[in-house]
Amino acid sequence: MAATTLSPQRAKRRTAFFAALAALAMLGLGFASVPLYRLFCQATGYGGTTQRVTEAEAAAIARASQGEGRQLSIRFDSNVNGVPWAFYPEKKSMTVGVGGKSMAIFIAKNNSDKPITGRAVFNVTPDVAGPYFTKIQCFCFTEQTLQPGQEVRMPVLFYVDKKFLDDPDDKDVQEITLSYTFYPVEKPADQS
Amino acid sequence: MNRRINAFMMAMALGLSALAPSSAMAQAEAVNAAAQAAPAAPAAANEAGNAATAAKPAWDYAKPVATVGQPQPGEMTFQEQFTPNGHYALWMHDNILLWVCIIISVFVLALLLYVMVRFRRSANPVPSRTSHNTLIEILWTVIPVFILIGIAIPSIDLLARQFKPAPKDALTVKVTGYQWYWGYEYPDNGIPEFVSNMLPPEKALERGEPRLLAADNRMVLPVGVPIKLIITGSDVIHSFSIPAFWVKEDAVPGRLNERTFTIEKPGVYYGVCSELCGARHGFMPIAVEAVSPDKFAQWVKAQGGKMPGDKSAEAAPAAASVPAAAEPAAATNAATPAAANAAAPATKS
Amino acid sequence: MSTTTADDFHGAHAHDDHHDSDHKPGFFARWFMSTNHKDIGTLYLIFAIMAGVIGGAISGLMRAELANPGIQYLHGWAQMMDGPDATMDQAYHLWNVLITAHGLIMVFFMVMPAIIGGFGNWFVPIMIGAPDMAFPRMNNISFWLLIPAFALLLGSTFVPGGSGNGAGTGWTVYAPLSTSGSPGPAVDMAILSLHLAGASSILGAVNFITTIFNMRAPGMTLHKMPLFVWSVLVTAFLLLLALPVLAAAITMLLTDRNFHTVFYDAAGGGDPELYQHLFWFFGHPEVYIMILPGFGIISQIISTFSRKPVFGYLGMAYAMVAIGVVGFIVWAHHMFTTGMTVNVKMYFTAATMVIAVPTGVKIFSWIATMWGGSLSFKTPMVWALGFIFLFTVGGVTGVVLANGGIDDNLHDTYYVVAHFHYVLSLGAVFALFAGFYYWFPKMSGRMYSEFLGQLHFWVFFVGVNMLFFPMHFLGMSGMQRRVPDYTDALAYWNGIASYGYQIMGVGVVIFFVNIIYAFVAGKKAEGNYWGEGATTLEWTLSSPPPYHQFETLPVIDDSGHH
Repeated sequence: MAATTLSPQRAKRRTAFFAALAALAMLGLGFASVPLYRLFCQATGYGGTTQRVTEAEAAAIARASQGEGRQLSIRFDSNVNGVPWAFYPEKKSMTVGVGGKSMAIFIAKNNSDKPITGRAVFNVTPDVAGPYFTKIQCFCFTEQTLQPGQEVRMPVLFYVDKKFLDDPDDKDVQEITLSYTFYPVEKPADQS
Repeated sequence: MNRRINAFMMAMALGLSALAPSSAMAQAEAVNAAAQAAPAAPAAANEAGNAATAAKPAWDYAKPVATVGQPQPGEMTFQEQFTPNGHYALWMHDNILLWVCIIISVFVLALLLYVMVRFRRSANPVPSRTSHNTLIEILWTVIPVFILIGIAIPSIDLLARQFKPAPKDALTVKVTGYQWYWGYEYPDNGIPEFVSNMLPPEKALERGEPRLLAADNRMVLPVGVPIKLIITGSDVIHSFSIPAFWVKEDAVPGRLNERTFTIEKPGVYYGVCSELCGARHGFMPIAVEAVSPDKFAQWVKAQGGKMPGDKSAEAAPAAASVPAAAEPAAATNAATPAAANAAAPATKS
Repeated sequence: MSTTTADDFHGAHAHDDHHDSDHKPGFFARWFMSTNHKDIGTLYLIFAIMAGVIGGAISGLMRAELANPGIQYLHGWAQMMDGPDATMDQAYHLWNVLITAHGLIMVFFMVMPAIIGGFGNWFVPIMIGAPDMAFPRMNNISFWLLIPAFALLLGSTFVPGGSGNGAGTGWTVYAPLSTSGSPGPAVDMAILSLHLAGASSILGAVNFITTIFNMRAPGMTLHKMPLFVWSVLVTAFLLLLALPVLAAAITMLLTDRNFHTVFYDAAGGGDPELYQHLFWFFGHPEVYIMILPGFGIISQIISTFSRKPVFGYLGMAYAMVAIGVVGFIVWAHHMFTTGMTVNVKMYFTAATMVIAVPTGVKIFSWIATMWGGSLSFKTPMVWALGFIFLFTVGGVTGVVLANGGIDDNLHDTYYVVAHFHYVLSLGAVFALFAGFYYWFPKMSGRMYSEFLGQLHFWVFFVGVNMLFFPMHFLGMSGMQRRVPDYTDALAYWNGIASYGYQIMGVGVVIFFVNIIYAFVAGKKAEGNYWGEGATTLEWTLSSPPPYHQFETLPVIDDSGHH
């Protein structure tokens, strides 16, 4: 061992140093798991995480593959948690062709007498559809502020990637549910 | 048609926004919110609200069979199963896993007893010095691997079956876990969320139901029809579980989970919240009443909902809803649809 | 080489005259500023016994309440704690506080301090022929960190934590129940308690790793180390790699609770399931942290009382390494019902079952060690035999639970409670008692009563089996964990389990009587009171060993001793 070149005291310190380093690395990994987990979810659709593309990317994809293929039912689910809003999809479900762009409208109305800012979190079920459920435009990308009594119609522009058809895990999927939950954005200062 | 859907979606959303700790408060708040939401028809909403607080569906819940869908006194195994996947899982447990458990435990016990007798000091005063035997070491590594592969095959198959997505004709029910009660909504039937609380013990016994498992409003489901539950949590994580269906799925805030199963026989099946969710975790039971599809359609009607493909209801939502609210039989349970109707004019789309 | 090291260190203490190997410092300096691994080990053991009594008493309260359906005592206890107008919700919250405290105390303040801090500190240096641990003062810090940690945990019971006083989140402290669901300082105190206990264990792990890598006597190669040392080495690595992840996870809980971060808060784009992933990334290695040193103890005992070296020494050592490594990649089997994809569930099912293979190697190697041996059934051996059988039972139910599809019914039921009590309460605790009876005369210099030791075993064995076996039935029937009341059909097996607790309690009383007997009337123990089969280095020393052992390092000859 290294003991032939190091004094015993230094050998011990060296071992302890590396051990402490390993512990610190794991501590760092613990914190790093927050962004890593998010990346992992985005890459794999784990936990029903959906994909996101820009308008231009979507156009390119659309040119490459015309929306045909299997017909899928898309169900829309809405929840509010801590915001005094009415929030619901215009249609509870729609049928889309895999690869074809579609738009769904969600409606939110502020029932309180105060302006309120909310933010929507979302996922899709089944989880295996997550990697292919792609949003081009969504109100969930930004915070929404509603004045007292204000009602807004919020569009979601999405398509189901054609690769969906090639994934054996998705071969029996008949319906994808897209679920949103609106939460309040806590600090009013953030509204600006 | 859209108006109608909007209305019940909105009512549902309002129901969800009421996060009061007790269900009575939740209901009251939902009603208040509904009243605010519908200034155009405040009287109607209030009326509906009064009915809602005293809501008792005009539906005679079935008496549970004591040997079905609930724990049995002194029972030493699983509850009887009532879904195909439940049968398969139970078969796998009883015919593979249980025997693996018993055989391995008995085998180890027998070996222990044998060496204890055969190699006790008085019988074997001089110990051998053997400390290696490559063959036997390989064997006791490889044989368990084969046993585990034998278990893994049906296990993977079971998982694949449990995860088989719901077919097109499945009935979707939305389940929301609250501290400490459940909310059930039938989005395809126009039945907005209603809450299900534990029945007080004396009431449960009065109705011939098991203590701590009985609920005031049951989740009513048809037999033979695939059921797709979509499950979410409102405040903390809860877990929706029905042992007789071999179903358990967490209700996680901000996230939707889904679960599919088909019930084989009518009956009343009980479950419990299976994730620690605070003080009354042990007191938010799940009660499912499985009925024939015909009876289910009746129940849906009694709740003011409609069956998918119910043409008259779809074609003339307003016309259908007015008599529903006026029907004397539905007077007590018309609360929720009435609230939805009342809210409808306020929503312009 | 290590001699100079030890001398260097002790030279730093003016009052430590290292030329007199049995010169002890005064009472305060010896027990409160201790740098002696044996004294620190003793402190750990005393601490663990006291914590075990508290944790065990809490489980007694739980079994008393659960003995019959309905709420018997809980409301009364809540009135004692929170005043006469305590509500039912406060009573139910008190229940959650009890289960949380029982879990945390038994894991962090009983099993870990006893098996790693106690036996590890006492015997790892001796078994490798070292005069002390590598960093004796750090060793002292490790122990004394536990005291404020325990005080914080006990103190949290008296401050608000949601529906009532105390932290009622379960030992897993899942968000959001532990964040938005538990206002009040109780959960913060419990989290800080875990931070301190974790820091204590990480420092201990660094110390053990350094000691084992650098302070082995000449000739004591890694492959000659006794299996107990191997087990502590693997455990130290698990602690080193797992606990920082827990520290990170609960630090984020703390900031979520107090500083408006949203790591686990869905409202801000966080994910409550991330906490579960992090917790169980720590939590699954943690169960091996509790059981691996037990494996080591059992190996020593089986070998000693069979008068035979351990069968398949290398296989045994590397089986522990394998268990440690695989233990890091199976965590999500604790989360089977959270909503995962089928592929993830299949992976964790398969990976979890893999652990059965090295565990099986250990079980069969112990039996093969006895095969052809010359067995005597002294108290430690009886406990070790009980361990092997009961751990097997706990292991096979683990294989049942490993199946994601089967777990759908059993998850969070009493079946799981039965499983982990079989591997921990009947596994780790049996190993602790086996080790205690094996080494107690070595540590104290006094023999205990063999009769009382055997009686303790049989009473305890009957008690814990009666206590925990019915829980399998309760779980299969559908009884969920962490509830103070249950539907009436579950009364029968709950009643049996509560009787089992009482029998177990009698067993624990016999244990204490035996300790008292040893100190009052026990015979003086010789250096090697187990005779021929006991070959590790602690048996070359007197009982108790001199205050400073191995001032002249032992030389391990080629024949080895394993």
